[in-house]
Amino acid sequence: MADQANFERDAMQYSRQLYSAAMRMARNPADAEDLVQETFLKAYRAYDTFQEGTNLKAWLYRILTNTYINKYRKESRRPSEVDLGDVEDLYLYRRLGSEDTVDASRTTEDRVLDGLVESDIKAAVEELPENFRMPVLLADLEGFSYKEIAEILDIPIGTVMSRLHRGRKAMQKRLWEFASQRGLVPEDAERP
Amino acid sequence: MSHDCDCGDAQDQLYQYLDSELDSETATSVRSHLDDCNGCHDSFDFERRLKLIVRQCLTEDMPETLEVKVRELIRSETSRRSQ
Repeated sequence: MADQANFERDAMQYSRQLYSAAMRMARNPADAEDLVQETFLKAYRAYDTFQEGTNLKAWLYRILTNTYINKYRKESRRPSEVDLGDVEDLYLYRRLGSEDTVDASRTTEDRVLDGLVESDIKAAVEELPENFRMPVLLADLEGFSYKEIAEILDIPIGTVMSRLHRGRKAMQKRLWEFASQRGLVPEDAERP
Repeated sequence: MSHDCDCGDAQDQLYQYLDSELDSETATSVRSHLDDCNGCHDSFDFERRLKLIVRQCLTEDMPETLEVKVRELIRSETSRRSQ
């Protein structure tokens, strides 16, 4: 079992990463700060139950995720389990035509990847329903393995994979809309 | 999966490949398919770059004051407990 006296030394190194995840969960800085503080306080209080040598980062994310769900699901009336419509695989890539009409030295993919701004990406992730957003955040922001995500969210690994897959596709659909609004994609571009 | 990996196999494994979730043998067969197939190579490369951009864009700078607040919170909890 871990010693509470070592908590700051062991756990504080993850605070920056936890804050990034908290921002995408709570969607504003004030709530994200509250979420991080509450997570660390709970983690500190429970630290003597943490099995030393196991995955501390995943343990902290599990507390963060549960804190978020308990705190904000009650407040918002957003349903937690939402399904996404059907979106095809490689949505964004397939929608991008391979013809270069504007600048022959750069492909449409380059223009889109360079032209999407930070706020587009953030919005595309934040708009995902919670059950899809969490796996996407844990995989793409934090780089957790599917097994770790399954443990953090307490869902089977197959569910992690399908939600991640569908969440990413839905995110790409939204990114296509942003790219389109920004005039980054040629009209009617679509891969055969 | 056999050593020969076709486009369908590669596309099915795309995210697991990019997420480093494949065993080394399967990852090697996907990689060798990507070396031979421009279409798959391009789509994998696009997804890889997008994943990287998503990660960069989602990373936030934590306010300096937050770390101070968290440390103070822990210390006040420690002294509350020891009383």
